[in-house]
Amino acid sequence: MHRRQGDDRLPVVLERRRLYILPTRAGAAFGALLFLMLVAGLNYANSLALFLTFLLAAFVLVVMQLCHRNLLGVQVQSLRAAPLFAGSPGVLRVWLGNEAGTARLGLEAALEGTPRVAADVAAGARACLDVPLAAARRGRVRIARVRLSTAHPFGLFRVWTWVHAPLEVWVYPRPLGRLPMPVYGELQSGRQAHLAAGADEWSGLRPFRDGDSPRAVDWKAYAREAPLLVKEYTAGGAELRLFDFAALRLGDTEARLCQLARWVVDAEAQGERYGLLLPSLRLEPDRGPEHRHRCLAALAAFGLGPGG
Amino acid sequence: MPAAAPGVEAGRGAPPPLLWACAALGGGVLLHADRVPAWTAFLALALILWRLASAQRGRWAPGLALRALLALALVVLVLARFRTLNGLAAGTTLLILMAGLKLLETRTRRDYYVLVGTALFLLLAACLDRQGLMRVPLYALEAWVCCAALAVIGAQGLAPRAALALAGRALLLAAPLAALLFVFFPRLPGAFWAIPRDQQALTGLADSMTPGSILRLVTSYDTAFRVRFAAAAPPPPERYWRGPVLHDFDGRTWRRAPVAFQLRPPLRFLGPAYRYHVWLEPSRQHWWLALDTPAHSPDLHAQLTDDYELIADEPVVQGLTFEALSYTHTSAAAPLAAGARRQDTALPPGSNPRTAALAASLRQRSASDAELVQAALEYLRRGGFVYSLEPPPLGANAVDDFLFQTREGFCGHYASAFVALMRAAGIPARVVTGYLGGEWNPVARFFVIRQSDAHAWAEVWLEGRGWTRVDPTAVVAPERLRRGILDLLPQGLSVSERLIHGAPWLAYLLQRWDAANDWWSEHVLQFDYGAQLDLLARLGISAPDARHLGWAFMLALLGWLALITWHVGRGGRPPRPDALARAYARLCRKLARIAPPRAPHQGPLSLAAVIAAHRPEVAPAARALLERYAQLRYGPPQGAGHARAVAEFRRAVAQLALRGA
Repeated sequence: MHRRQGDDRLPVVLERRRLYILPTRAGAAFGALLFLMLVAGLNYANSLALFLTFLLAAFVLVVMQLCHRNLLGVQVQSLRAAPLFAGSPGVLRVWLGNEAGTARLGLEAALEGTPRVAADVAAGARACLDVPLAAARRGRVRIARVRLSTAHPFGLFRVWTWVHAPLEVWVYPRPLGRLPMPVYGELQSGRQAHLAAGADEWSGLRPFRDGDSPRAVDWKAYAREAPLLVKEYTAGGAELRLFDFAALRLGDTEARLCQLARWVVDAEAQGERYGLLLPSLRLEPDRGPEHRHRCLAALAAFGLGPGG
Repeated sequence: MPAAAPGVEAGRGAPPPLLWACAALGGGVLLHADRVPAWTAFLALALILWRLASAQRGRWAPGLALRALLALALVVLVLARFRTLNGLAAGTTLLILMAGLKLLETRTRRDYYVLVGTALFLLLAACLDRQGLMRVPLYALEAWVCCAALAVIGAQGLAPRAALALAGRALLLAAPLAALLFVFFPRLPGAFWAIPRDQQALTGLADSMTPGSILRLVTSYDTAFRVRFAAAAPPPPERYWRGPVLHDFDGRTWRRAPVAFQLRPPLRFLGPAYRYHVWLEPSRQHWWLALDTPAHSPDLHAQLTDDYELIADEPVVQGLTFEALSYTHTSAAAPLAAGARRQDTALPPGSNPRTAALAASLRQRSASDAELVQAALEYLRRGGFVYSLEPPPLGANAVDDFLFQTREGFCGHYASAFVALMRAAGIPARVVTGYLGGEWNPVARFFVIRQSDAHAWAEVWLEGRGWTRVDPTAVVAPERLRRGILDLLPQGLSVSERLIHGAPWLAYLLQRWDAANDWWSEHVLQFDYGAQLDLLARLGISAPDARHLGWAFMLALLGWLALITWHVGRGGRPPRPDALARAYARLCRKLARIAPPRAPHQGPLSLAAVIAAHRPEVAPAARALLERYAQLRYGPPQGAGHARAVAEFRRAVAQLALRGA
């Protein structure tokens, strides 16, 4: 998908020369109706019928202008997509801004082959459209372009444009498998797991950093006008886990990756520290969203080469 | 349309697009309610209500089999009523019924669009049917409702008021172009296909007359035609408008003669010529009405018959206009042909014996035909005859009954009896039907001739003079010549018509309205190819033709498009910033004179840091203001004190004095 003008650098304001417009099916049918009315009016040489026909024809032209105006000048502020799991729905979030003095209703966004989602943007405001994403296979999915469109008002015309702001989305392996989670060293030494109570111990507060879970924020402190703090826990009694690709007794590579992804997700959800051992990569036990992403991304990219 | 699955009914309650589609369709049906058979309109409205109720309750939706059965039944009903599905009336009836049926199976957005399209087509049919000025607001309203329905179908969740505003704005923007298109879009002089004739006749003169048949017309206040004279109008006793001339008499009913290819008897025209313009209302009949004796046919499509009637090739289905030249006094230039004399003295044998006896006694007393006519009129004048719109019924010998027993009747009775009497006396005579008089409209300066002016009179052949008009009614009720029948016999009118007739100011308003209607009819409804060329000629184009029209059309279209693009493209202006934002903007402008201007991403506090770095000496004052702004804008709300705090802030900004760098 290459364009002469190159890719768009967000934010972009949609200008006249990149908007395309065609009648919708309803608009085409309306055109056919107008033609019939014109023929009838001319045949009966009936002035009133002709005037009605002309009025509706002019109305259609006005509708075309209104529809065009509805998308013209919309600001595409950002396109963001969080990583998703293969086989589960994800979301591409499109932020649109409207600097005009009138609301823009029924703005739609879609990827190639996905249904349109619609939202209204009030005057001088912004709004987001969540375009559903789906991927059947793990890896990195490249989204080359997003289609923004609108048929508002009247739905007789649809004006659209393509926003070429490529982005790549991680598609994690589908978390599947029922094997029990191994403890650190278990796979190597065969020692029995040390089963301790998993309650974390509170270790203190630290300033908020990007990527911290909102659940970890000390909201009560924030409500007292303190800065945004994050409660830190140490997995005092929790297990250290290391998930080893090579040690899994599953024949299929994909099945192994799915099982590993399952463990990573579960371990993170339980607040445990976990590491990942892949043939070409070793991730030391840790936890937190960033670590989780590193692990799942490593699984997603497994064997796919640098290009994804 | 997968976007939030619009158009699909979710849960209970009628969805707005359905309501709007029903409103549009209901409006379309109502426009025809008084034209289609009554059961059609009722059935369609019932179907609409059924659909709304079934949407409201979420049940009662008829199945496919029932719908198919209903459709079939309705087609059969329409066929039984009209014997055809072609033509405006039958087509409209069928369209209304099928739209009602379609309504029962509307579920998707597409169905709603189909319904609104149908409503627009019904509107078009209404325009084809009736074009009176009175109906234009109705049509405009229906067009508005249809467009608002389109808006609601196109955008789910649009409030009714917003939909009406949106549609109204779009229609108003469209109106100028519609007017330009109307003026410049090249009209075709002919029709693509033959226009199907409707069987339904409007009120108007028929080609037969029984004494009572005129009554149907006389009680109608509808306009039959309008006339404007180029110069002086003829005096009231000579305002006879000739319609069908009837020759054949069966003792009760007068009919036109079977088509006879006779030559028009040559006439010598006497007295002044009257040149005038006629606007004829649709009658679905072939008659064109002209003043007494037209000198020639005004149009290629109308023939002047041997009786000096004007008969058009096509029935008058739409208003039309023509110019004519007439005389009110003529004399024959040749004797009556033997065939014509035989025809116009014929009476059914054995009928009306007392009339025959009266004719014989009149003949004995008179020296000539002219004297006999006068004697007969004298008989009517002195015979105790009464002018009445409610005459007693007549028996088998209608003329005898009327002349010797009931002696009560109106123009039809008098003309019929008089002509029969003349024929019994051997004088060729015929019945002429048409209109008498007309109401002068001083606003528009024309005469309005209504159906209530319908009249019947006699013409007798007098040697040396030819066909001579004799109006026996005028003998009985002489004032009929000067005044309309309504003045004479107001009991024939409905209450509202009597009201209009009795109040001069109402009559004046009515005349105004007639004038407006006339303007509408002349300048809008009858605007055609010829009028387009005339307009181009007036715009300074010599020898205009369709090509010029095409150019004007394109120019108008492009000009309007440019204008509309500019107007719509302007959009709304951005909202005016509030007082706090304006004060802050002013503060930023002041600070920009002594330090780098605020970058779009910079907040007030980071701007304060920049000021501190550049101009430490003004930093405290600037920081205080910037922090105050941040507090006002982003701090906890202060309720009532906010406005005062903003005002203080504004003053503080104004007083901030900065020495330029």
